[in-house]
Amino acid sequence: MKSENQLDKDTVLEVHNLSASYNRKPVLWDIDFRLKGGQLIGIVGPNGSGKTTLLRNIMGLMEADSGYVRLFGQDLNKVRQRVSYVPQRESVDWNFPVSVREVVEMGRYRPSNLMRRLQSSDQDLVDLALEKVGMLEYATRQISQLSGGQQQRVFLARSLAQNADLYLMDEPFVGVDAATEDAILRVLSELRDAGKTVVIVHHDLQTAYQYFDAMVLLNTRLVAYGAKDDVFTRENLQEAYGGRLTVLSKLSELIARSEFPVREKGFKEKSGEGDAAGK
Amino acid sequence: MQQESSWILDSSLILVAAGTFLLAVSAAVVGSFTFLQKRSLVGDAVAHSILPGVAVAFLFSGTKDPWWLMLGALISGWLSLSLMDFLSRKTKLSQDTAIATVLSVFFGIGILLLTYIQHLESGHQSGLDQFLFGQAAAMKSQELWIYGGLALVLIVCTLIFFKEFKLLSFNPDFAQTLGLPVRGLRILMNSLMVLAIALGIQAVGVVLMAALLITPSAAARNFTDRLKAMIFIAALIAGFSALLGSAISFSAKGMPTGPWIVMCLSILALLSLFLAPKKGMLARMLLQRRHQQKINDENLLKAFYHYGERHANLAQWIRLSDLEEIRDFAEEEQSGALRRLIHKGHLLRKGEAFQFSRAGLDEARRVVRLHRLWEMYLSQRLRLKSDHIHPNAETMEHIISPEIEAQLLEELDYPDKDPHQSPIPYRS
Amino acid sequence: MRIWWSMFLVVFLISCEEAPNSDKYQIVCTTGMLADMTTALCQGIDSLEIQSLMGPGTDPHLYKASQADVFALSRADLIVFNGLHLEGKMAKLFHKLPEERVYPAAEVLSEKELINASAYQQAYDPHVWFDLSLWSKICFGLEHKLQEKLPDHKSLIARNAEKYRKGLAELHHWALKELSQIPEKQRVLVTAHDAFKYFGRAYQVEVKGLQGISTTAEFGLRDISELAEFISSRKIKAVFVESSVSPRAIEAVQEAVNRKAWELQIGGELYSDAMGPPQSGADHFYGMFRSNVETILSALK
Repeated sequence: MKSENQLDKDTVLEVHNLSASYNRKPVLWDIDFRLKGGQLIGIVGPNGSGKTTLLRNIMGLMEADSGYVRLFGQDLNKVRQRVSYVPQRESVDWNFPVSVREVVEMGRYRPSNLMRRLQSSDQDLVDLALEKVGMLEYATRQISQLSGGQQQRVFLARSLAQNADLYLMDEPFVGVDAATEDAILRVLSELRDAGKTVVIVHHDLQTAYQYFDAMVLLNTRLVAYGAKDDVFTRENLQEAYGGRLTVLSKLSELIARSEFPVREKGFKEKSGEGDAAGK
Repeated sequence: MQQESSWILDSSLILVAAGTFLLAVSAAVVGSFTFLQKRSLVGDAVAHSILPGVAVAFLFSGTKDPWWLMLGALISGWLSLSLMDFLSRKTKLSQDTAIATVLSVFFGIGILLLTYIQHLESGHQSGLDQFLFGQAAAMKSQELWIYGGLALVLIVCTLIFFKEFKLLSFNPDFAQTLGLPVRGLRILMNSLMVLAIALGIQAVGVVLMAALLITPSAAARNFTDRLKAMIFIAALIAGFSALLGSAISFSAKGMPTGPWIVMCLSILALLSLFLAPKKGMLARMLLQRRHQQKINDENLLKAFYHYGERHANLAQWIRLSDLEEIRDFAEEEQSGALRRLIHKGHLLRKGEAFQFSRAGLDEARRVVRLHRLWEMYLSQRLRLKSDHIHPNAETMEHIISPEIEAQLLEELDYPDKDPHQSPIPYRS
Repeated sequence: MRIWWSMFLVVFLISCEEAPNSDKYQIVCTTGMLADMTTALCQGIDSLEIQSLMGPGTDPHLYKASQADVFALSRADLIVFNGLHLEGKMAKLFHKLPEERVYPAAEVLSEKELINASAYQQAYDPHVWFDLSLWSKICFGLEHKLQEKLPDHKSLIARNAEKYRKGLAELHHWALKELSQIPEKQRVLVTAHDAFKYFGRAYQVEVKGLQGISTTAEFGLRDISELAEFISSRKIKAVFVESSVSPRAIEAVQEAVNRKAWELQIGGELYSDAMGPPQSGADHFYGMFRSNVETILSALK
């Protein structure tokens, strides 16, 4: 189910005809959706459905094969200070010799304070963030001594310290204990209530319905997006989880093996066309 | 003893010690980030790859002017770095294959060029062989200024960009999303590393350079979990090794300076592996020993308790031979435990017989209680079969803390008996 | 596919070695000094080719044979090398070649005549060419070997050898005379490595080197410091760099000495393990020896 073509003023995230590959293998085909602000949104789909790739494309960590992403109606580079990214917990070596506070401080680094020390106003925000996630008393502890849940809280605090309007998180609930899960949800709900937008790549279908207001259901291609009741239908879930598109996956493997270009170079879609043409 | 008195004041020693000190410290500081990014092997490869650059610089300029050689070193160092990066990213080669390939190819070309140079008609031996193992002993005062200056540049740059380097080493993706100039910072970090290597090679040569870059921080890591402290300790270890190596080189004939510096570094690193507090092997061995002693002591107390329980008299004097009906003890374990228990005042001794003290009895009760509580827990909550629970409880009783004990009691609702119907001893 | 095969063929052909030129008698010498002596002894003999592996400025202690060298050695009819471990890194190579083709020139000398290398038991100092009387004896040995190999030219070789030795004798007496002009206290020769022990013994000069007998030996701070101490306390006027060794170490010694408030000159360049480049006047043995003595004279007198 798709929304209208028109760009709402409160569309916070727009992904337009995004196709992307990972290791030369196409994992996202023409993903297209718009999300309104002030919600908790979950991106769900089976393993290998391209959820993380989608997030990384949105954050500019990867280059798409085609299509584009707009945040707050603009290119990412213009609005970076309004966007915060929480990577997967396992993407980092937690034996690195830093303290909890030092990690959260990283949320305050900007191009503007390159080569300069953080100011006391920055430290205040750090303290605030730590308190919000309940880690203030652990501020001086080394991150290697933290449990999984505590590590996730630290990542969350770092994100909060950025004071962003849009938060993108990659599987923040994986491997955390129940208490942490509740705590995180509480913080995220507060953000939502304050008008911020939180987009989460989530691994668990069951809890997804509980946690989120809106959802994006995908499996290599977009299955559905919108309010959770609209998305969470039997047909949609069946389509997303019910089995692979064998032709598509065979084609993807072939493309990867022969290193075939995914899009013809120089092919530029004329604006306006194609959207209304439907599937 | 004229030589002894001139030791400290000998100008060569001071010169070489100062020069190698600066080189070692700057290499250690920059190398800490290389180490943390797990790029130690890359550092080694870059060091080896500098050889052809030096040879080409010599052939090109026809001189052994250090600036020319340094330029050649920097260029080929940078080239090898870019090549390794390219190979591991754009081809199917894994990272360590890319590193090994670049290292051997560049180094091979370097040796080739050196061999070619030695065949040349020019009347002067190039002396480029010195780049293999360094020639710190022949350091000149002009070089000291150059090294000193460049080493200072390295350290200052690292300090200025400290927090950015920290983030880049820890979570480069996040750095990128912040809008930080990740590419430029990467180039800066790499340049500092190549420069530190090109400098350090003057002292210890191509083959040993990796040690100067990595060993200090590897050793320092054993002492601390804080980044700033780690880098400081690494610098300290490196500087100290440089001074010590220079001193050793000075103490007897035919002791090359560079290799001795690396020897000192390596010995310090090995010592740190062993002696570091908490993380060191010695500390861990001692911890294990303490654990084992605790286990032995408590087992002995339990044995006494069981005997007393069995014969319905906890206050009696018990001989060691009596205990044989309860449990077998190894001679050493038993005598050690006895000694400690008496020392702690848990047991009283009269000749060959032992008796519980007040405190000892409480302690024995505690251990037995934990054992039986844990058996209840295993039986009730985990539903383990009765023949499985005893061995497990044997281990667990020694580690259950008071907090966990309190939780157990609550969960099991203060039971009287364990699964074998033995009474659970609470306070007397 | 065909392209690959033709490329392979080309590479194969290129790497194939030329058939040996079996007309001329091939003699390969290692050092320039030996080549010089051999050339002098074979003066006037046609259909003979003499080749020297190590050129001017090449250090025989460190010299590693290249593939071209190995090729030249393998097709040589006679190989003349110094022996006594001068060509340290080629020893194994010589062992592999047939014995009758390989001639260690310096080993004709008896143990009494040789100087023992202090560090190693069985090893001797190989720099024998600096004692012209010993070099003369070596000339005898080489003369006999060449006569054995080229019996047709026996008498020619004998005449050449006689002439050569006469030149050496003259040079020897000249050196003795000239060097005695330097006052004994000043007659100290400090060089990069201990190449001049025989020279020192023959011509009454005290010698000291920074590195030991071989440039493969590593030196440390102590060696530099002690040498600097020695120089400044004995008030020696000059030290010498060598053509085949990097001057870096000697320059470091000079700096150390200058810091001890004694002004030390670099007296010049000596030819130690190799001779000079063409047209330098030191590209043949007499010239090289002369040049050394003159350099020493002008610096220390």
